Amino acid sequence: MINTLLSLNEATRTVNSGSNKVALLDNIDLQVKEGEFISLMGPSGSGKSTLLNCIGMLDNFTGGGYTFLGEPVHSMKERNRSKLYKEYIGFVFQAYHLIDELTVYENIETPLLYKNVKSSERKAMVADMLDRFNIVGKKDLFPIQLSGGQQQLVGIARALIGKPKLILADEPTGNLNSKQSTDIMELFSQLNKEGVTIIQATHSENNASYGSRIINLLDGKIVSE
Amino acid sequence: MILNYIKIAFRTLLKNKGYSFLNIFGLAIGITCASLIFLWVEDEVSFNSDFQKQDQVYYVPTHQEYDGEWRTFNSTPGPLAEAMKTEIPGVVRATRTKQRDFLFTVDDNGINRSGRYVDEDFIEIFSLTFVEGNKNEAFKNPEAIIITKETAEQLFGKNTKVLGKTLRVDNKENFLITGVIDNLSKNVTFPVNWIAPFERYSRGKEWTNGYGSFFADTFVELSLEADFTATDALVRGLLEKKTDDSNSKAFLHSIKDWHLRDNFENGKQVNGRIVYVRLFTIIALIILLIACINFMNLSTARSEKRANEVGVRKAMGSGRSRLIFQFISEALILAFMATLVSVLLLFILLPQFNLIIDKNLVLGLAKPVHIIVLLGITLVCGIFAGLYPAFYLSSFKPVEVLKGLKVSQGSATFIRKGLVVGQFTISIVFIICTILVYQQIQHVKNRDLGFDKDQLISLNVNGTMIEKFSVIKQDLVNTGAITSVGLNNSGVLDGGNNGSGLEWTGGTNTEDVLIFFRYISSDFLETAGMELAEGRGFSENRTKDSTSVLITESFAKLMGEGSAIGKKVTRGDTYTVIGVVKDYLYDDMYGQSDPVLFFNYHGEASYMYLKTNPKIATSDMLSKVEAVMKKHNPAFPFEYAFVDETFNAKFKSEQLIGKLSQLFALLAILISCLGLFGLAAYTAEQRSKEIGVRKVLGASVSGIVKLLSKDFLKLVGISILIAIPIAWYAMGNWLQDYAYRIEINWWIFVIAGVVAILIALVTVSFQAIKAAMANPVDSLKTE
Repeated sequence: MINTLLSLNEATRTVNSGSNKVALLDNIDLQVKEGEFISLMGPSGSGKSTLLNCIGMLDNFTGGGYTFLGEPVHSMKERNRSKLYKEYIGFVFQAYHLIDELTVYENIETPLLYKNVKSSERKAMVADMLDRFNIVGKKDLFPIQLSGGQQQLVGIARALIGKPKLILADEPTGNLNSKQSTDIMELFSQLNKEGVTIIQATHSENNASYGSRIINLLDGKIVSE
Repeated sequence: MILNYIKIAFRTLLKNKGYSFLNIFGLAIGITCASLIFLWVEDEVSFNSDFQKQDQVYYVPTHQEYDGEWRTFNSTPGPLAEAMKTEIPGVVRATRTKQRDFLFTVDDNGINRSGRYVDEDFIEIFSLTFVEGNKNEAFKNPEAIIITKETAEQLFGKNTKVLGKTLRVDNKENFLITGVIDNLSKNVTFPVNWIAPFERYSRGKEWTNGYGSFFADTFVELSLEADFTATDALVRGLLEKKTDDSNSKAFLHSIKDWHLRDNFENGKQVNGRIVYVRLFTIIALIILLIACINFMNLSTARSEKRANEVGVRKAMGSGRSRLIFQFISEALILAFMATLVSVLLLFILLPQFNLIIDKNLVLGLAKPVHIIVLLGITLVCGIFAGLYPAFYLSSFKPVEVLKGLKVSQGSATFIRKGLVVGQFTISIVFIICTILVYQQIQHVKNRDLGFDKDQLISLNVNGTMIEKFSVIKQDLVNTGAITSVGLNNSGVLDGGNNGSGLEWTGGTNTEDVLIFFRYISSDFLETAGMELAEGRGFSENRTKDSTSVLITESFAKLMGEGSAIGKKVTRGDTYTVIGVVKDYLYDDMYGQSDPVLFFNYHGEASYMYLKTNPKIATSDMLSKVEAVMKKHNPAFPFEYAFVDETFNAKFKSEQLIGKLSQLFALLAILISCLGLFGLAAYTAEQRSKEIGVRKVLGASVSGIVKLLSKDFLKLVGISILIAIPIAWYAMGNWLQDYAYRIEINWWIFVIAGVVAILIALVTVSFQAIKAAMANPVDSLKTE
């Protein structure tokens, strides 16, 4: 039987813009099962990124319920929430967001430092990851010395190093050319086959088609699935 | 983890070489400056600390009342030491001492060394250690002298046993060396190169045995159990008990206070060097503060560059505390590098600094206390400077910074501006202080002294100089290099011999007035360039004027209205006033001229003054004078002092403050400018898009420079407004200590303000011009 990874129940995110309350996300109901590959689509400002950030616990819903692996995230303390996402969630960004001052190797290693993994273990895990993504030869280079596609590869490796159950990708190919995009999307569907749940936000129909489920957002509401 | 931070720190440093340089160099200057000051403070505090009995040894000065005011003198009557030892229970040891300069001669080798005639207890009180001889035997021989190891080596060479040798002193007496003691530390208030039994000094001097003459320095040692307050109370009552005179009170002055707390006003200990020690310590801390402010400013200004990293790290699972820890460790690494740089700077600057302050400070990297202080400064600076940036940077929300939203800088900008204002306020205060201290020193130096200190040299009187005075005088004048020669029992700039209890015509309550006495030869007035207000000077024929006296104008005032000529003064005998000398300054160059009474007698003279002929070159003049002195006083080396140099030496502590405040003003401004430079660069970068747009719309380069500089100048303007009252108040207080002082003029503030604005303008406009000259296409494309 397939477990439910997370569920949103009338989840809402509002911000104050001057004296008005603006709903970025409006009563979202969503169930995500383990092993799904979901593509969020919608025009700019429809709430894709906000939804990803809230699911990833970088941002919080202002109303409604959010359950992750059976635990109620909406009523959790910051500390526990941070423990939860450190353990189960990996991020991939459109602008890669690698740390410029760290080498490829060190960038991939960073999440492990924050999870207090032992040094010897870290070495093995990073080596493993470099090997798997075929970037062993680039491990001592700095991000600025890599192409965009390679940087995103490192970004994904970094997201995967902590063995997350869920990968959240916000326009992962937005800064890449079509060849690089295809490579990255192929990689995502490979990962998905290995059991990682993926939620990506994208503008591209083509990229969205890699997913098993497409959700369309408009003005903070789910308009169709 | 730490390793990761260190790596990041170094790479960030290398990537932003300019900022790193400003940061490290600014902090290094601050640390260097503070270290110099702390070294000086250490030296000051270390005075007399080498003596073992820190809690037991006391000096015994006296407060004496004149005219309702208590003055403090070093001298005590001879028998006081013995009386304290026998009659006051807490006093276990006591010694009379009398300081003397000896000319030692061994073969042809002659050196002048000062030392003291002392009682045997002196050895135990100061825990002197004997390298040769035995401390219990050394004082048995009445001809004994004990010299320091250094003196022994200078006289006899190294590794020579000198015990039992005879030492010729002043070419007339022989002393027997009965001991050699270890050298005293350089930092002692009462240095001695030799000690000899006090009896040899007091032999034949009946007056040394009574309570009438105050001449000896007395030191005592209390027992460990003695209660200071009770003992001191007994000491204060002792002189009255002996003499029935309640106007003199001896008291105990702890060895720990000799150097820093040796100033007394009206019987109370006030000020002293401790004030400067405190002042400079505060200045050191202020300069460190400025340097730390720089660090904070530059770190928060760069926040945008670091914001992304903060966002990513948070998204990767870093908590806020870890980020704070990371940024503080980065600050610590920077601070540590700054310390390394400053150690280098210290080695380069210390010799120069020593010249300025006339000390011999050494940075001892093997000394634990120096290392600890340096590391302490590093740690405190690193944490203090890193704290605000760390809290600020770590507060960024990952969602915002990763989206590329501008970090809202509201509070940070405000704080940054506040910090710049703080820095410049301090700098401007320093500038104003520098100008005022300089003015005050010049003011006093240019004061009319009442005599002519230029072209005047003084010789110490010794040997046969008094007996042969007329011949020496004649020969000196015959050389053509000297125009006039006079004798005096006191240095012309010194306070010296004084007393009270006189009576004079037209005066009431005259007993209480303190009068200074001068015993001069007839031509002293002419030699020193003193002028007569009325009457005549002494005639060369001494018998004719043996009952005549001269007085100064302030003395004449005490005698009431009308001419003072012919009035009488009684001091034992009665004298007739024959002339009034214009008031002149001595002792306290900032004070008033106290009344002086001149007697026509040079038998007790200590100084010979020579007025030189300005047409003869100095070296020529000196060799001519030396030839004459060698001829008539061959046993003594020719030693002389220029009075104008002695005069300048009187301003040592003021000049020290002057030089240091100059130095600190310069450094404070330099550090502040480094910070301003960095901030201006940052602002220019921040506003590059705005500048681009403005240029495309037709703004001129000068218009943009004005736009960018305006904000900074406003900050400097605010600093000026804050600095002026602070400086005005602080310097007003400082000047209160001087009776003869300058007024604080408004234009000083204008000058300081203009200087600050100009410096800030130069610093900022460099960046502003660079930004304004840039091609707008580049800056607009990046967005």
